[in-house]
Amino acid sequence: MSAANRAIVAELYTWRFLKWVVAICVAIVAVFPIWWMVNVVFADPGVPVSINPRLYPTSLGSGLSKIQTILTETAYLRAYFVTIAYALLTILGMLLIGSMAAFEFALFDFPGKRILFGLVMLSLMVPTVVTIIPTYLLVADLGWLNTMQGLVVPGLASAFGLFLLVQFMRTLPREMIEAARLDGASHFKIYWYIALPLSRNAMVTLAILTFMKTWGNFAWPLIVAPKPEIYTVGQVVGLFNAPFSHQTVDVVMTANLLAVLPPLLFFLIFQRKIVEGIAMSGSKG
Amino acid sequence: MAELEIKSVSKSFGSVEVLRDINLKIASGEFVVFVGPSGCGKSTLLRTITGLEIETSGDISIDGKRVNDVDPARRGTAMVFQSYALYPHMTVAENMGFGLKMAGEPKAIIREKVSQAAAILRLEKLLDRRPAQLSGGQKQRVAIGRAIVRNPKVFLFDEPLSNLDAELRVNMRAELIDLHRRLGATMIYVTHDQVEAMTLADRIVVLNGGIVQQFGRPLDLYDDPDNRFVAGFIGSPKMNFLDAVVLETGPGHVTLGKLGGSDRSLRLAFDGFDPSIKEVVVGIRPEHARLGESGPDTVPVSVGFAEELGDVTYLHGKTPGRSPMIIRSDKGRFSGQIDCNVAFDPAGVRLFDADGRRLRADGN
Ligand SMILES: Nc1ncnc2c1ncn2[C@@H]1O[C@H](COP(=O)(O)OP(=O)(O)OP(=O)(O)O)[C@@H](O)[C@H]1O
Ligand SMILES: [Mg+2]
Repeated sequence: MSAANRAIVAELYTWRFLKWVVAICVAIVAVFPIWWMVNVVFADPGVPVSINPRLYPTSLGSGLSKIQTILTETAYLRAYFVTIAYALLTILGMLLIGSMAAFEFALFDFPGKRILFGLVMLSLMVPTVVTIIPTYLLVADLGWLNTMQGLVVPGLASAFGLFLLVQFMRTLPREMIEAARLDGASHFKIYWYIALPLSRNAMVTLAILTFMKTWGNFAWPLIVAPKPEIYTVGQVVGLFNAPFSHQTVDVVMTANLLAVLPPLLFFLIFQRKIVEGIAMSGSKG
Repeated sequence: MAELEIKSVSKSFGSVEVLRDINLKIASGEFVVFVGPSGCGKSTLLRTITGLEIETSGDISIDGKRVNDVDPARRGTAMVFQSYALYPHMTVAENMGFGLKMAGEPKAIIREKVSQAAAILRLEKLLDRRPAQLSGGQKQRVAIGRAIVRNPKVFLFDEPLSNLDAELRVNMRAELIDLHRRLGATMIYVTHDQVEAMTLADRIVVLNGGIVQQFGRPLDLYDDPDNRFVAGFIGSPKMNFLDAVVLETGPGHVTLGKLGGSDRSLRLAFDGFDPSIKEVVVGIRPEHARLGESGPDTVPVSVGFAEELGDVTYLHGKTPGRSPMIIRSDKGRFSGQIDCNVAFDPAGVRLFDADGRRLRADGN
């Protein structure tokens, strides 16, 4: 190996080393709060971590008992179910409506198509804060305050979801759709048997992004469903976190930990899909 | 099996007229090839027959029944696309059975028909594969199988072999001919490759600019073209075209001068030549042009290069008027640039008027 080559190799290693250092630093910054949460929850009772700082949990039992207390003695479990229903219904509805609309927009021509699509895309540029009050008024008019449909329905027509699915379905070859038509498939059957299964990847991506978004949605449930029976996890955690809550810090942390658990699991399972999805949509949902 | 009749069909996209007054009558069991240059409307005509495009005017009938208003799936046509258009998420068997499934046939019948078609196309071992796991030729056979399963009256193929390599293409052609013989079905086949057209067709439709130029048996088109376009399109290498002027006409003959810009003339037997025509185009195929001694009825040609293919040799040259000229001269060996004289076999000469229309002698 010549000296020049050696210098290049050394440089490569240095680069790689630096990259790793940076990546590890970022990872520590990102993981630390979650780890701290675990740390606080699974600490011996009566020995607050803040007074006695350390980086490892000390008592599994006390953490579990806190979790049990929260699940049994507060409305947390119900909020869990509400939020799961909220997320699942939103995902299902959005996929159904979005894929049907995308099917028409992507594969067929109809009068006014461009203008309609343009309008929908325009709505992507309007921030949520602007629409949240009119939407609230509309939902209130419908008498849907404090109902599941009030939570779910306004979130179904997703311009972003439509955009994602249209972009994907546009890549389906026209001749394949025509072949299906010649095979005697009706309009709906082409959608059902051809377009839908072939859009699976895009739909999974959209489902994942939607899950993350609905699970973490705070503002909308807060204003549209203020009744405790239909609190979402976000709202319940909000109560724990409130300045005048009577809970000690470890209980608050337990509530927070329970709230991040589902998206965290979700993320670990679908990690690759999520990264793909974000790359595909060029957005973080 | 069914006959297909196309009556004054026209098709426009917006203001662009793509098909103009197409009239064709295709007999039951015939293998007809549509051929023509890219963009001449072959695919559009095929798609109009199957109903994927709606004709601007005219009628299409299958077995004497007008099908203009019949849904594409119920016309009794099946189409094989150039891109195969297989459903990537279904197995070969599901691809082939999809049409039957849509028609609500019971599973057992679908399975039986699919395996019959698979046997015809030697696809039995591939039935559980997905399209991504197939080679180009296999995909094409699946696409054909999908058509066979539907038992159509008319098969429509849109350049089905153009994505295959040359050798596979030759094999698939032979298979198609075999398939046609076994099924006895009416088949319409689109290609822009005139050699493919000549090999496959019972009859050929030559299209150009959305107009049927000629409809006939391959050798009729070759020997007796209706116009200069057909004469030039059919045959490889192409027919030579030389400008000429009419020197004099008389009973039973015509004498042409300034052949290809030279000072030579040519006297042809020709009954009833229209004396008002002053300029013509002489068409002569390479095999009807021979190297000869210099004489009054030969044309001097300067040969630029020779294409020695083994069984045949083609000399590529130019006449004094710079018209390209290809001469077939087997067995001779050539090198470098040569000047020679070319004699025309009178029986091989075809005359066209300045607009490219064929000039035929009376009684022909
Ligand atoms: N949907 C359409 N809208 C507008 N013009 C079209 C449409 N489809 C085809 N054309 C035009 O019609 C003409 C004929 O097209 P067609 O596809 O029938 O040609 P083709 O003979 O099949 O050519 P190729 O050999 O390249 O496949 C072309 O000029 C094409 O641009
Ligand atoms: Mg075409």
